[in-house]
Amino acid sequence: MSAPLLPPAGAVYDRGYRPYEGERGGRGAARAALVRLSIRRALGLRRSWRQKVLPWSLLAIATIPAVVNVGVKYITRNTPASDFDLITFREYVGVSTTLLLFVAITAPDMVCPDRRNRVLPLIFARPLTGNDYVLAKVGALTAILFGFSFLPQVVLFVGQMLVVREGAIDFVTENAEVLWQVPVAVALFSLYWATLALAISATTARRVVGGVALLATVLVSGAVASILVSAGGADPERIFEDGSLWGLLSLVDIPLRMSDLVFLGHVDPGSLVGGAEGAGTGVVLVYVAVVAGSLGYLVYRYRRVE
Amino acid sequence: MVADPLLRTEGLSLRYPSGTLALDELTVDVPRGSVGLVGANGAGKTTLLRLALGQLRPTAGTIEVVGRDVADDPIGVRAHIGFMPEHDCLPPDQTAADVVATLGELAGLPPRSARQRASEVLDLVDLDEARFRPIGGFSTGMRQRTKLAQAIVADPEIVLLDEPTAGLDPIGREEMLALVGRLAGFGISALVATHLLDDVQRVCDRVVMIDGGKLRHTGATQALLHRTGALRVQVDDDAARLADLLGAAGVAVTVVDDATLDVRVDADEGLVLDLVRDGADDLGLALHAMTTRRTSPDELFLDQPR
Repeated sequence: MSAPLLPPAGAVYDRGYRPYEGERGGRGAARAALVRLSIRRALGLRRSWRQKVLPWSLLAIATIPAVVNVGVKYITRNTPASDFDLITFREYVGVSTTLLLFVAITAPDMVCPDRRNRVLPLIFARPLTGNDYVLAKVGALTAILFGFSFLPQVVLFVGQMLVVREGAIDFVTENAEVLWQVPVAVALFSLYWATLALAISATTARRVVGGVALLATVLVSGAVASILVSAGGADPERIFEDGSLWGLLSLVDIPLRMSDLVFLGHVDPGSLVGGAEGAGTGVVLVYVAVVAGSLGYLVYRYRRVE
Repeated sequence: MVADPLLRTEGLSLRYPSGTLALDELTVDVPRGSVGLVGANGAGKTTLLRLALGQLRPTAGTIEVVGRDVADDPIGVRAHIGFMPEHDCLPPDQTAADVVATLGELAGLPPRSARQRASEVLDLVDLDEARFRPIGGFSTGMRQRTKLAQAIVADPEIVLLDEPTAGLDPIGREEMLALVGRLAGFGISALVATHLLDDVQRVCDRVVMIDGGKLRHTGATQALLHRTGALRVQVDDDAARLADLLGAAGVAVTVVDDATLDVRVDADEGLVLDLVRDGADDLGLALHAMTTRRTSPDELFLDQPR
């Protein structure tokens, strides 16, 4: 009796080249891919753990004030002290300035390597234009900053809602305005830093230089504004209305004053521009000028592939 | 005029802002298949590729790729093109799989398909085992193959290859030429810009030769080599006397050494063979060998009228 024939245990196939016959998106798909890939890179997704440490640590740090505030509210919920807020929603937008370090690292990382490694000719051999590239990078960084600034606000809001003495419904009713003020203020804050940081980063192919240039620009502008306001007779340390329009030179203050306008309808009297004639209009004009100028420079910078 | 050409230019000129005239009223039809774009350094090869991608705008004239006017629809054109630049353009901190998949997504492929295609084309270029290693550790040959993989990941109609064998050692060059030679079998036309005419002879059916931004020659590679072929004649000695005799009969001759001369065969090969045989007989020279010798591509290029 002969042994039964067994199927072969394995086989090697040369699959060769197979034409692609699947779905193929156009320019819109390419733009969306560039946004997605930029966000992924900034958050360290699909990268080593070292690249994940910074963004997620900063998110955790930015959330600490919210957690502390909610914790204090919970502990003191049955005492009059529960009415005291360690931090308000408006002030919390300002706390997001702690993300400046994150911006100074992430913005250069989004654009500098593409130029330094000469990847741009490959990117612009795809169905993308320079404007697409700029919009995708600004969109990606704005989205990340929005997420990192908004999530702690959500923790603050939801946490307080759950622990306050008067109950969740009353809390929401009393704070209904916050539901639009926070997203608007955070969006303005995120767009401002994303455009400014990317514009400064786009001036160089070196990440370190881009990050340092951003921090230096922001800090120097703030220092110069403080000196000029003080020289004009004002004391920026005092919490009353004696600021001046020189305070508009402080790049770090502009998005915070925009938050003031969203939450209060006027700039904070204790700020560098507090009490100055036309301060609110000046803040809006400088904000628009910085965002538009940064976008204009980015479009100019990527109008041609190098 | 070629029917349904891959690339068509009409009076195409490009003058850089520096004043350099890179292309000078170039009119040429490039058919489908593997085509060599040949020229010395600075001949205008890379400029022509960048014009085809819409990365540069011509000073005058038009350029069409796969039937589309690049000036009217650069994005639509790029959707059909893969591009492999000459220079290093790969981020060293990313893996080959990531880079190729990323560029596949930017070409409009869905993320899952892009990753699958990246795996397939990296396998095809023999980088299947290295695809999860950072590119920074790759050899020049591996980088060149990664660049080729990203060029074909989206299954383009045409790939523009700029000096694909530049910087490669002999083994790497053989591997790259073998891959380029297979592209036509995949249904991908290739325009190979190079100054290495041996490469063109190996993998291209047709040649477009440019110099100083002007068209010097276009046609089938074999026809070009055959048309300018030569006959190597070996006699026992006194080759110079035979050269004089043939020269007097109007045949172009080059004396290589005392016993060897190259006889140019431009038109009637039979007549030239008879003249050599009769001349050697008249001079009493022993005719040792007559071998058809094709002019090397480099000699061919240098012989082109300027």
